[in-house]
Formats: sequence, structure tokens, C-alpha cells
Amino acid sequence: MAGAGRTDTRLVESETTETDAVAAVAVGLSAVLFALAVAALFGRVSLTGSLLGVQTVTLLGGLLTALGGTVIAFGVGSRFGYVETNPDPSAGLIAGFGAAVPWVVIGASVASQTLGLGAGVGVVAGVATGAVAFAATVLPREDLGSTVPLGALLGVTGLVFLTGAIGPTWVWELGWAQQAAITAEFLIPVSTLFSALYGGWASAKAYGGFGARGRHMGAYVLVYVNALSIVAFLFILVAFVVVQGIPGLLNGTEFGFGTGPTTSVFGVSVALPVSVPFLMNGVALFNDFQGVLPAIVGTVWLVVGAVVLAVPLGVGAALFLTEYAERGRFTQVVEVATNGLWSTPSIVFGLFGFAFLIPRFGNGKSLLSGMITLGFMLLPLVVITSREAMLSVPDEYRDASAALGVSKWQTIRSVVLPAALPGVVTGVILGVGRIAGETAPILLTMAGGTFVPGSQTADVIGGFQFTSAPPFVANPELLQATSALPYQLYALITAGVGASSNVGNADEFRWATALVLLVVVLSFYAIGIATRYYFRRRLRHT
Amino acid sequence: MAQVTDPRDGRIRSAVGEQVRRTKRFADETEPAALAILAVMALSLLGALVGFLAVSDWTIVPFAAFLASSAVGWVRYQEETAYLIALMMTVSTILILGLIVVFIFRESIPVIRYESATVYGITVPGLRMFIQPNWDAVSPPIRYSMVPMIHGTVMVTLIASAVAAPLGVSAALFLSEIAPATVREVVKPGVEILAGIPSIVYGFIGFTVLGPWASDQFQTTGQGSYLFVGIVVGLMALPTVVSVAEDALSSVPESMKSGSLAMGTTDWQTMTSITLPAAFSGVSAAVLLGVGRAIGETMAATVMLRGVPRLTEPLVNVFYGQETLTSIIARNYGEADGLQMDALFVAGVILFVTVLVISVGAQYIEWRMHKRLGGEI
Amino acid sequence: MSENTTPRTETEPQTETATTGTDQPLTTTAGESVEQTRDEWREYDFRGEAKMTVEDLDVHYGEDHALKGVSMEIPEKSVTALIGPSGCGKSTYLRCLNRMNDRISSASIDGSVKLDGEEIYQDGVNLVELRKRVGMVFQSPNPFPKSIRENIAYGPKKHGDLDTGLLARLLNRSDAEERDELVERCLRDAALWDEVSDRLDDNALGLSGGQQQRLCIARCLSVDPEIILMDEPASALDPIATAKIEDLIDDLSEEYTVVIVTHNMQQAARISDQTAVFLTGGELVEYGETDQVFENPRSERVEDYITGKFG
Repeated sequence: MAGAGRTDTRLVESETTETDAVAAVAVGLSAVLFALAVAALFGRVSLTGSLLGVQTVTLLGGLLTALGGTVIAFGVGSRFGYVETNPDPSAGLIAGFGAAVPWVVIGASVASQTLGLGAGVGVVAGVATGAVAFAATVLPREDLGSTVPLGALLGVTGLVFLTGAIGPTWVWELGWAQQAAITAEFLIPVSTLFSALYGGWASAKAYGGFGARGRHMGAYVLVYVNALSIVAFLFILVAFVVVQGIPGLLNGTEFGFGTGPTTSVFGVSVALPVSVPFLMNGVALFNDFQGVLPAIVGTVWLVVGAVVLAVPLGVGAALFLTEYAERGRFTQVVEVATNGLWSTPSIVFGLFGFAFLIPRFGNGKSLLSGMITLGFMLLPLVVITSREAMLSVPDEYRDASAALGVSKWQTIRSVVLPAALPGVVTGVILGVGRIAGETAPILLTMAGGTFVPGSQTADVIGGFQFTSAPPFVANPELLQATSALPYQLYALITAGVGASSNVGNADEFRWATALVLLVVVLSFYAIGIATRYYFRRRLRHT
Repeated sequence: MAQVTDPRDGRIRSAVGEQVRRTKRFADETEPAALAILAVMALSLLGALVGFLAVSDWTIVPFAAFLASSAVGWVRYQEETAYLIALMMTVSTILILGLIVVFIFRESIPVIRYESATVYGITVPGLRMFIQPNWDAVSPPIRYSMVPMIHGTVMVTLIASAVAAPLGVSAALFLSEIAPATVREVVKPGVEILAGIPSIVYGFIGFTVLGPWASDQFQTTGQGSYLFVGIVVGLMALPTVVSVAEDALSSVPESMKSGSLAMGTTDWQTMTSITLPAAFSGVSAAVLLGVGRAIGETMAATVMLRGVPRLTEPLVNVFYGQETLTSIIARNYGEADGLQMDALFVAGVILFVTVLVISVGAQYIEWRMHKRLGGEI
Repeated sequence: MSENTTPRTETEPQTETATTGTDQPLTTTAGESVEQTRDEWREYDFRGEAKMTVEDLDVHYGEDHALKGVSMEIPEKSVTALIGPSGCGKSTYLRCLNRMNDRISSASIDGSVKLDGEEIYQDGVNLVELRKRVGMVFQSPNPFPKSIRENIAYGPKKHGDLDTGLLARLLNRSDAEERDELVERCLRDAALWDEVSDRLDDNALGLSGGQQQRLCIARCLSVDPEIILMDEPASALDPIATAKIEDLIDDLSEEYTVVIVTHNMQQAARISDQTAVFLTGGELVEYGETDQVFENPRSERVEDYITGKFG
């Protein structure tokens, strides 16, 4: 048989047939069910209400049953030669396990709960049902194996909904010491969701005519759904924060000449033409509108401090590792150490700052401790990305420069560093985005009160003083606790609604803070990604 | 035994000897004045470090000396100064890891002593933290058990991995093997941005939206459940899994993939039979790193959990979320002092060690994969 | 971590572009019309029936015009050599014959390629079936990181012709015997059996370069193709391994249609029945029986190329 017998597959396949169309309709039906399930899960579709004049649960049940029937019909039709397909002898072990899992759940819950036979019998029944589903998938030819057990699953689920065995008001008390129950509101959408995925998988396989191509289709449907869901999730998340945050952010916003606060640019006072109190005020009793200015300024200073500390250290270390040190034990140890530092939980950095830095900077939480802690967090990322960038500079550049008799440091300064600059810059910007949103480390090292008055806005540059006693230079601004956006949001959450009555609408205030934080962090990311594109494009065109 | 260690001993000795010779050669070749400047730089920085560790107000003096000598060195002997500064920066990176280890371990010692337990007549320090499940910092007997928090972290991590691993690997396959170039250019930055959303924002949404909704759905008393913390943390760990796994998949040589396709296999068969097995260790390293992220995730857990350090009843009750190793630190650092604060450091030590082991393990796996595929490390 | 977004598949045409650029002056002499050469080779009476027929094949990689109106008939059960300077499009041409160029997103292909009279560039073509019938051996050996046995059995397994999986073994319908027969037959056909018969379960990456390449040929034979495309199969090998591969190609032409790209003219002269000469710019300049092309080329440019005045 092996390889010798040519199968009757033709090089060019016929045009789309009616049977292909049936399978395509089944895939579409699964997509509709998937969408309905998601909508029901988030309460966009009411389970007790009706859709298109039919009760929602009945509609879901009917669609599931129809989908299950179609899938089975396709498989049986293929087995008896009514539909032209190209199935393998078996659907395979993975498909078997895939089909067994839901049947184990169904078997176990029916035996232990519906029939009330207890947990022990439930487990046995679950395993038995799963084994039957597994055998039914694996033993027959692929066209039956990959459709019948899954079609039956869809059919059973659909019938349970249709007959009202699980209606919109169904509840299963788990009877645990800490009270919990599984309700229809949760079960119906979730089981519909998984059934739709299984249905889509089976009908995509059928659409591909089973065999290698069918499995390819089935897998691609799932992979595409996953990728699409991730993108949709990101989009919904950001959109949700924006929609919730905009009212609070724009509270009391005025446009027009002279409405904004006055700042001096090169010694000339200029009134900004726009006033956004949320961004320009602190919290004070007599403010018309409250704001988060101290937290914004705090975040900016934090980032500046961390960058000033981490970037030279990190780039220097990366330089030494790539240019001076010979590859060996030492570089390996440093690599392992930096990667270890990179994955160290942020709260551990916080603990470290608490134990190490706070006693050394005036025994209280301070901006400086926060800066250094975040700098330590940023450091491994700078080392890793700079090292990657420097390693990707081709050796020919170095050799060419060395062949001209240029010294090593001159080579590094005039050849390696400029070539590695894009990678380093991008890495630093993305790293900054990451630390700007960190809460845990500054929680223990820097953060002050929940509502910070505008007068406490850190003024680091104006704060330097010279003293006669050691350490001779002092900056009380650096040694004071201040706020930062992520911490402010945390404090607002934990403070609860009662404590925040002095900012007007507390909920709006919180969402607006979240929005400002998100905008600050994501703009770092946007800049980082844009920089990368810019450099890459320039590289390609020169 | 001796025979085994001997050659290694010899190797170390010869390596040290080589180092000494190199240093000597460097000293011989360098001008005495430059050497002096370098020595001043090194000594003054060392002095500053000692001063800083000793909490001295005079730390600034050696530090200023370091800055001054570096400035002089930079102007007169740039080559040597640059080398020394780069070396110092490398050393300081390792030093920071060392300092973290020393300081968090040092702070946790008192409570480890306090929580000693005797087993078969042997007193084991810290054992009682792991054999009884009570955390009570207020009423005697004062007990600091890590068991409830370990339970919470394990629950959250398991759920998070169940979310992040399959979705992450599938998304990595999509990005590296399936997506057309234009789609990839959109989805890839999207995944990066997902990594950038601050954990407190996830926590806030979880707290205000998901928490009440879940408590309603499962008819629990009060809000906070390991199930939803796990799902949220899993989504947060997803980008790590995606980007590391994608790197691993792309490092499988294109020639292997074309070789399989030219045999007349489908793209999916090539992925499952050639690409994934070849990149298997890299992909598992990605999952491990994702697990590490999930273990260390703090703010979302802190905000969404109940903050009562006890076990759920029964242990598999994922609809209640009590406390994890990370959240207990973030929640209690404020009012804690003395032994309780030290107990928080113990939680930190457990976290640090677990994640470090995972990270080193993942690196080892990746290193082996590169070696096997014959590429450069 | 995430630097490497440039699709790897796109780098290939770029190198092609670069090499074309360096040979630029040659294109100015491309005066002879393509039509004329085509009419000339049509006068030949090749020894077999046409297995593949290519008509007016044009390939663009983005802006770059890699193949210009190539037409050619490939007779069955013979060796057809494609020669020409690097960057002339001969590899591109080869990859069009089993549609491996589909992997390159920037490639656009016009014209017609027929396999046994059936157009392979049309909707509904089953790529799996096509590539089963038109096998390919690559420039550098690319065995899978699996055992020698699994390398050979890979194709038939994926096509469902062999099943030795866990399930098949449990159900006692494993094709282990058929597999071993197939492995032995393919390895013998590829003249590798004597060297590896005692270590079939070793990793294929442990073989020498020449052995790896013969393993790749054996792997290609395992799905019983009709045509074998070879893209400079000996360019990465030493002279002894090359000689072995050449002998092998000679044997293969008894049963298979072989199309081989090479830039080694002696090799083409030694092994091929007919030779096609591509010159810079992606044009097919001369196509005919090997002896005739090498001894008495019709085109002056081809003569210059063959006698080593350039290329």
C-alpha cells in the first residue's frame, strides 16, 4: 500500500458543490452561536427575554440542535458515499480526547446531580461516558468519528435547552461550606460557547472534506477565532476604559483664550488656551473641580529618575558583556542573573526597596526610593534589549574599523553604539511603559495619601539645597512621599466610595484616573512601536 | 570523588591564573598615571558602596571623589576609563541581584525562628509556617502560616496557566506561521500593547465589573474569586507566552518547513509535525515564563481578592478568593511591623525563589533548544 | 525579543534582487527576441512525451521582474538541467513548477504551467496532490530533526498511506512492516542503504552533508513522485558526495522526470539530456539537447557564457 497505490484524488477539484455549501452553512451557524453566547455572557442578550420573537433559550437550543443534526448528517452522508470526501481511517487521538472531555463533564453531572447517585458514581459514570465518546471518535472512519460524538454533544445540549430541563431560572446549589451555586445565567452561555466551538471545528473539518485538509481547516478555524478574540478583547478593554473615563476627565473643561492656568515659557507668562481641571488641579476643599496633577507629575519624575539610573548602568553593562568580556562562564552568569531579575515579581522589588532603600533615605517613603526601585526593575530590560541590539551589529563593522587601526573604545563609540542605538531606544521606551504602570514597587517605597493637594506637586528642580553638614546636598522634594498615577488608582479603589465623597462623583474620578494612566502608559508603547517602525523602514531604504 | 573534582579544580586554577596574567599584562601596558586614576576610581566607588551600606551621611564624599576621578580619567585616558566604567556597571547589575537576595532573606529570619516546629525531636526553623493553616496576627496564639497564601497562589496560577498556555501558543502559531504579513503587522503590536496595560487597570475593571458580576452569577457571599482572578491574571500573562513562543517558532529554520511542505503536507501538518516539535522546548519555556508572570502578579490579585488569609472550603472552591502570596504583601505592608512584617518578607522569599527557579529552568530549556537546532546561542 | 517581525519568506526575493543588480550591464545585450528562441527549441524532437508544459511564465517579486515570458516543454523520464549565472531566475522557475513560490507573499505569477495537460495555476488545484506528484530537493540538505526512519516515512504517514501511530498499534493495524519495506526501498534507490542500514533510528541531523542530501532525495522518493525538482542539490557538498549524487540522478532518470538547477556547467553536461540556459534578467535564452547546447549553441551570448567569457 505504502506510497505505491495512487489514491484517486484529482489534481484539480470540482467547483463548490451543494454539500460544501451545507458545511459552510454549518460553520456560519457556529459563528452565530458563538456571537450569541458571548453576548449572553455579558448580559447583552437577556436569557429570560426573547430574540426574533422566540425565547432566547429556546432559540439557542434550536440552533444547537440544528447544528448538531447537520454535522451528524454530513458525517453519515460521507460514510455512505452520498458526500464526496477524503477521510482518514481514524480521527486520531487528539480529536478523541477533545470529544471525551465534554462528555465526561456531562456524564458525571447527570449521574451525580440529575440522578442523584452521589459523587463516586458520578466519577465512574463520567469516565464511562467519556470512554464511549473517545471510542466513538477514534474507532470508526474519520468522517463518522469526527462528527457523530460532537454532533450528539450539540444535540444533547440543544435538547436540554429546548425541553426546558435547564431554563433561565435553573440553579445548581453546590452545597459547599462557602456558599456557591452554578446558575443558568452562567451555564447556558458558557455551554453554548463551547458547543459552538466544537460545532465550528467539526463543520470546518467537514468543509475541508476530512483528511489532512479537513484537519487543517478545523485547526485554522480555532486558531483564527483565538487570534480574533485576543484583538477584540484588547479593543473592548481600551474602549471600555475610554468611554467610562471621558466624563470624569472632561469635567469642567473649558476651551478659549486665557482660560487655562498660566505658565511661563522663557520668562514670558502665557495662559494656555485650554483648561482641563482634572489634569491641572490637585484635590483641595475649595476647588471647583478636583484633579490628579500631583500624581501625573509624580509619575513623570519617577520615570525620569528610573531612566537616569537604569539606562547608563544597563547600556554600560551590555557594552561590557558584548564588547569586552569574552563569552564564557562570566557572561553566562550575568545573562542568567539579568533574566532572573527580569522575571522577579514586582512586589519583591518593593520589599527590597522597603528593606534596603528606605532606611538609607531618611527612614520614610520617598520619591527617591521609588525612583531607584523602579530603576532596578528597568535595569534588566535595558541590559537585555541593549545586548540584543549590540549583538545584532555585524562583526564586519567592528573588523573594518579595527583594520583601520582605530582603538577598541573608538570603534565602540563610533561604530557599535550608533548602529545599536535604534534597538536600545526602542527597548528603553517599551521598558519605561512597563514601569510607568507598576504599582506594587512604589506601594512600599514611595506612595503617600489618597487625595493629594495640588500644593504637594513635586518640584524636584527647585528643591535642591546646599547644606553645610554632610551630605551637603539636600532635596526635601526627593525625600518626601508623593503620589503616582497607578498608586493613586489603587488608593482610590481601596478607599471605597464613602471616603472619596470630597471629589464629587467618586466613580467618575476613578475611571478618569484609570484613563489617564492608560493613556500615559500606552503612549509610551505607541512611541516605542512607532520608533521601531521608523528605524526599520530607514534601515530598509538605505 | 577526588578524581572527578581534580580536573575541574585544575581548570579553575588555570582560569584564575589566566586572569591574573591578563591583569598583569594590562598593568604593564598601561601608563602608571592611568593606572593610578583607575585605582582611585575603583577605590572611591567601593568606598561609596560601603558608606551607603553602612547608612553613613559621608557617602557623598567618596562618591564625589569617584565622579571627579572619572571625569579626569575620561579626559586623559578615555580608553581605559570606559573599560573600567563598563566593568563596574556589569558588576553592579549582579550586585543588585545579590543585594535583593541578602536583604529579603535577612528580613525574614526572625519570623522563621519564631515559627520553628519540632519534628521527631529535631527543631526545624520555619516549618510551622507550612504545616498548619492559620494566619492570625492579632489574637494569640499569633501564627503566620503561609499555607493559605500558597494555596491561593497555586489556584490562581493553575487557572491562569490553563488560560494563557493554550491561547498563547495558538496565538504564537498564528503570528509566526499563519498570519499574512499585513495582519501580523497589526496583531503583533496589539499583543505588545496588551502587555503594556497596567495591572492595576485590569484589577480595577475586575473589581468594579467582573467581581459584582461573578458574585451574582455564582450566588456567592461577597465578591472575590480565584476563578476570575485566575482568568484575569492568565490574560495578563498571555503576551509573555505569545512573544516568547513566537520567537521560538520563528527560530525553526525555514528550510525545514519548506522541506515538509514540498512533500505535499498541509500547513497545519507541517506545524504540528515539524515546527512545534522542533520548537517544543522554546514553547515550553514560554509557558514557564508565563507561569512565572502569573505567580508574581500582584495588583490585580490584591484588588480583586477578599484579603482574608484562610483556605477556601472546600479546597477546590474556586468561587471564593482569599489571598495570595503577592496580595498579602501589598495589602498588609502598611499596618504590619515586627514579626508580621517579617512574615511578609517570607512570602517575598517564596515568590522570589520560585520565580527565579522557573526563570533559570526556562533559560536552560531555551539554551538546549538552540544547541540542538545547531544555531548560535 | 520581538525584533524579528520581517517575514523570513521575503528575504529570498531580496537576495535575488541584489544579485540581479550587480549583473546589470548584461541585460543591455538582451537583444534577441524570446519568440525566436522558443520557435527554435520547438524544432527539437525530445526523446519523451512532454510531462510539463510551461507557457509565457512571468514572475514578479514586488517591483522586480524575476522571470520574463519563459516557455518550455519538459520531456518525461529524462534529466533537464537549468543553468545560468546567479540571479537569472532559474531557482524561481523551478519553484514555480510545484508552486512553492506561493509561500512568498510578494510573488505574483502569470502564465501557464501544465502537468500532464492540466493547468496547475487555476482555482481548485489541490496543492497537496500537486506536491506529491512534483517532489523537490533543496539546495542545502534539510532533513527533519527526527530519526532516519521517520524522515523517510514522514510523507506517506502525513498522506494517510502509512499508519504506525499509537492507536494503530493498539488496534493491531500498524503498518510497521510496510513502513520498513518502504524505508529500505527508498534508501536503496537513493544509494544510502548500505551506509545507514544499521542506524535507522539515529537522528538524521547526525549524518554527513552528502548523506543528508541523499536522505532528502530518498525522502522525496517515498511519496512516489512523477517529477523530482532539484535546486543545486550538490552545491553544498564535497566532490566525492557530488559524484555520488550525480550517479544517483542518472539512475533516477530511468523512472522519474528530473529537473535540476545547477551553476556547474560540467555537471549539467555530464548528467542532463537537455539543457536550458537562463541569462540575467530572467530570460530563457537557449533550450535544447545538452550536447547541442554545449557544442554548438545558437546564441552568441550563450556561447560566451559557456566558454566562460562571463558568469
